[in-house]
Amino acid sequence: MAVAEQVSSKKNYLTALKEAVFEEMQRNPDMVCIGEDIGFLGGAFGVTEGLKAMYGPERVIDAPISEAAIVGVACGMCLNGKTTLVEMQFIDFISCGFDQIVNMTATYHYRTAGEVNMPMVIRGPAGGYGGGALYHSQMNEAWFANSPGLKIVCPSTPRDAKGLLKSALRDPNPVMVYEMKELYRQNKIAEEVPEGDAALVPIGQASIRREGDDVTLVTYGNNVYHCLAAADNLAEEGFSAEVLDIRTLVPLDEATIIESLKKTNRLVVVNEAPRTCGFAGEVLARMSEEAFEYLDAPPARVTRLDTPVPWVKPLELYVLPSVEKITDAALRVCKF
Amino acid sequence: MATTEADQRKKKSDAFQYGTYSAKLTADDHKEMLLQLYLARYFDVRLIKEKKRGRLTGTLYSSHNQEAVLVGSLYGLKPKDWISPIHRDMPAFFMKDIKAGWRNLDRMGMSVQQVCAQVWGRVDSPGRARDNWSHIGSRSKHIIHSTSMLAGTIPAAAGVAYADRLSGGDAVVLTYNGEGSTAQGVFHEAINFAAVHSLPVVTVIENNQWAYGTPTYLEYSQEDFARRADGYGIPGLVADGQNVLDVYDKVLEAVDYARSGKGPSIVECKTFRAYGHGDHDDDRAARYRPKEEVEAGRARDPIAVMKRIMVERGLMTQKEAATYAAEGKSASEVSNEDFPPDVVAYLSEGIEFAINSPLPPAEEGGMWVFREEN
Repeated sequence: MAVAEQVSSKKNYLTALKEAVFEEMQRNPDMVCIGEDIGFLGGAFGVTEGLKAMYGPERVIDAPISEAAIVGVACGMCLNGKTTLVEMQFIDFISCGFDQIVNMTATYHYRTAGEVNMPMVIRGPAGGYGGGALYHSQMNEAWFANSPGLKIVCPSTPRDAKGLLKSALRDPNPVMVYEMKELYRQNKIAEEVPEGDAALVPIGQASIRREGDDVTLVTYGNNVYHCLAAADNLAEEGFSAEVLDIRTLVPLDEATIIESLKKTNRLVVVNEAPRTCGFAGEVLARMSEEAFEYLDAPPARVTRLDTPVPWVKPLELYVLPSVEKITDAALRVCKF
Repeated sequence: MATTEADQRKKKSDAFQYGTYSAKLTADDHKEMLLQLYLARYFDVRLIKEKKRGRLTGTLYSSHNQEAVLVGSLYGLKPKDWISPIHRDMPAFFMKDIKAGWRNLDRMGMSVQQVCAQVWGRVDSPGRARDNWSHIGSRSKHIIHSTSMLAGTIPAAAGVAYADRLSGGDAVVLTYNGEGSTAQGVFHEAINFAAVHSLPVVTVIENNQWAYGTPTYLEYSQEDFARRADGYGIPGLVADGQNVLDVYDKVLEAVDYARSGKGPSIVECKTFRAYGHGDHDDDRAARYRPKEEVEAGRARDPIAVMKRIMVERGLMTQKEAATYAAEGKSASEVSNEDFPPDVVAYLSEGIEFAINSPLPPAEEGGMWVFREEN
């Protein structure tokens, strides 16, 4: 099978995603994959490599460059009893299919008073730090968090990548999976990944990546690793930081964040999206409503500047969250 | 100049020659189609009257003068086929599979009660009044739910067709679109996808000459819109949208072509929007559209066209044709006596049901954002 081509039993993020796709295609004969170059090529990053040979062109569709039709066709298939996995070649291109996602698919269950389910997963490579420039670096999850009816997950580890994608493919609702393409082939985060149902990771549950007592760094995706590095820096300064990976944005596991704040009483939220109306702002808003009494200092956000993501390294790092920016923000909150 | 025999025949039969499919229609089929034309017309005028009486609020999107497109396109479908109506196709929701019995609740179409409950915004609407006017549908009745994003449901139609074929079915999906929405990018994307995969999707274009306030020459640049099909390598047919039999011929040709696995096609039905885009702009439409154009567009009422054909073919006497006289009249000029009593009774049952149906409980506004359980 095209999936397991690794030397050790540890698997990287990309392989974990592939396993999720192959296992769910095998498990569910009503599942259909559609996207640009996912068949003959096996996807721009190879997530669906070998899938067309194994399951045939009817269930693995090489679509024309038509994001609106790709999502809309998947929507029609869901209406007629199928489960669909849509690949956006880059999550940046999703704007071309925006209407079909937010107006057709996301509202289907609502406007039919529950008659119709949309078991659709839209997955795609997302995020910056790779020099991908304006149209291969985006984190546009807030557009969809602001469109009721869509679940949104953003895994940061191979286990979560496989487990959340598998759970998404069994969910009766449309789920967006923001994959961190900079983590796809990082060997240092490779890990043992379970098979079959044991691999499932429930949607809507946050995960504590590092325990701490003085400040909670709430984040997801690429920034989990920046926060872990910042926590090392903070330890040197004498502060113990808890790193909380929310993993699922919608629905948000508020309880786990609140529990952490009861202990640390300080909050910093980090994400790659622009500052204005980014998801970090939503976390801050909710915690100011739900956990104000536990906070001993004004919370802080570390986000991208309100700019596009520029190309060359110094420009890109200037606008995106960094270990230094997170460390500085957390120190300010800790020393308040 | 001496007229030829062909000229005379053309004139005599309203320029209509029976085609492959309509030639097989029986006398009863003709009568049923005429009755359905009355039914669609009556739905339209009755709602306008209800609104004038103050028993109904909300915008109405009239299908007046365009009924032959609906009746002719639906008449040849099989019960399992899917349709994807838009705002001007409201009667299609209850006229799908209506041959199986107007009041037969098991047929593959909605009941008139359900459709009226939707018009009135009541809980017995198939969508429990969560979205307005034509924005309903039914998975079990094979009707794709319409939205305000015109042409936005053609990709779904292609997806429904794809899934059906994958499951071993041979259903055809009929989508309705005004000529206005054909300028949408998603129209191209969806037709292209359907063509690439030879999907059984028939796209009916109700070319009523006006996209809200914009005439066709500002929408596309061909004489016959149907020629756009050439670019996709699929058939593009043109039908006389005022003649139910011609629509039936052309659509059924496309449907048979689709069902036999050959792929999608476009059927352009040339018709004319009798009034405003919605009843909210009836007054303005009378100003932005040239009077001569409107008169010419309304001159061939589809009910009158069908009656003429039936009289000429000996399927109806002049006297019978004169029994009901809804044709050529606006909603304010027409009365219940201009329609067959069955038609009036059927719609009245739907309307009485709707008016007695309650509003949905307020808390339903917060429900069904997500499906909660697997």
